Amino acid sequence: MSTLVSDVTAAPVEAVRNPKLDQWICWWSIPIFYNLFGLIFVYLGKLMPPPKPGLSQAEIIEFITSNKDSMQTAWVMLALTLGTASLSSGLIIEQMKRMKGVSHAFAYTYLTVLAVAALPGCLFCGIMFALAAFRPERDAELIVLLYDMGLLSFVGSLGCFVTQYMVFAFAIFLDQRRLFPRWLAYMSIWGLVTEFIAATIWTFRSGPYAWDGLISFYLGTVIFVLWEICLVVCLYKLIKHQPVEELHPAYGGAR
Amino acid sequence: MNINDQRICLWLVPIFGTLLSIAALTFLVPPSSPLMSAEEVARFYRENVAQVRASTVVFNVCGITFIPFYMVIVVQMQRMANPSRAFSYSYLSAAASGGTMFALADLGWLIAAFRPERSPQLTQLLNDMAWMAFITPVGFIMAQNLCLALGIYMDAGRKPIFPRWVAHFNVLTALLMAPGAFALMYTEGPLAWDGLLAFWLRTGTFAVYMAVMFFVVRAALDEQERSQRPSLDEPSLAVAA
Repeated sequence: MSTLVSDVTAAPVEAVRNPKLDQWICWWSIPIFYNLFGLIFVYLGKLMPPPKPGLSQAEIIEFITSNKDSMQTAWVMLALTLGTASLSSGLIIEQMKRMKGVSHAFAYTYLTVLAVAALPGCLFCGIMFALAAFRPERDAELIVLLYDMGLLSFVGSLGCFVTQYMVFAFAIFLDQRRLFPRWLAYMSIWGLVTEFIAATIWTFRSGPYAWDGLISFYLGTVIFVLWEICLVVCLYKLIKHQPVEELHPAYGGAR
Repeated sequence: MNINDQRICLWLVPIFGTLLSIAALTFLVPPSSPLMSAEEVARFYRENVAQVRASTVVFNVCGITFIPFYMVIVVQMQRMANPSRAFSYSYLSAAASGGTMFALADLGWLIAAFRPERSPQLTQLLNDMAWMAFITPVGFIMAQNLCLALGIYMDAGRKPIFPRWVAHFNVLTALLMAPGAFALMYTEGPLAWDGLLAFWLRTGTFAVYMAVMFFVVRAALDEQERSQRPSLDEPSLAVAA
């Protein structure tokens, strides 16, 4: 990779001590973000496991008003920390770009779809529930609308994640360096399948295919959590074993 | 390498920044109160429909023109002597996500002003959504600031791309914008969307940040141009990408 090297000399000693510090910072953002994510959506936001789509108007209003304070705390935390998701993308792109025999098209796709997904797949839901909790005295129909908009966007925004899983699997299969293990590509395909299955939430309001259903929600969530844990472990190994020569010359590399 | 493209992106900031500032000063200052009843919000839109439309159309047309400037920062981050480019890609991703939030906010105001005769409850909901989406998703600009700061701290080049104080300045900016997120839960006080911390400090910090970064990035571009000029006294190693 050609780069501007005019102002590069040997790195200061303290810089060389941890030549992968930037990638480690990005790596740590992933466990930190997903712990926060659990705190926000499970413990405080009460959206995982999701409340039922079939709740009556009165029950939905009761759900919002009785959880008002903890929900609002959740959405404030989400608004403050969702940017850490960008750091995990940065790291994955950096590692995907090490692949051989694959252009950077997959890596850039991964970057783009996750940057887009932040709104429909996550923060939009937070804003809808924040709007409901902000004024629970709104017209009851509006509270129900916000409830639907929040949960449907959170569970039902599929395309970004379909594309993410798909290009990631393709990239792993085509990579001649075999940086990521093949089984992670197969897991990504399982993730992809769960995203397709979750499309049923747009028609079912109860049962296993609804937004709180065994198949459309729990199956996808379990596979996603397993996938994410495996990804974190794989990224850990990749950073640890990345030869220093691949880094910037100032950090002892020959990039 | 020619850097005219980066200069174009840079100069979009003062040009569109001026337009956006005028629109913001006429519509957002002083900010409307979250304590207004639905009827009061609806009356505000009915009575100020032309002004709301004018300002929010300017937001709509010009609001995303800061993205090219952020991409110049990405280009400059990729020139830094950082071990990898992870921070620059993180910065790019955060900037893109932040742009989508601003677009959502502006839609709320515009749709509310499109039919001001709508039921006041609906107008209030759209207005709430716009203000929340505008003020509160500070996590993305904070991630940008922190990635840039970390990149500067780790820039091991003999001549760093940005001076060190720029990193401190970015960390400070991230901290000062953080209170914006709390507007999701407060209807009054300093953390409400019209409050001292969530509105004035957050938006004021952003305005100062953009102005300072304009000069910082301009200086970095001047330096890039100088470093690429062939010099007689030292053999140039500059290789165009």
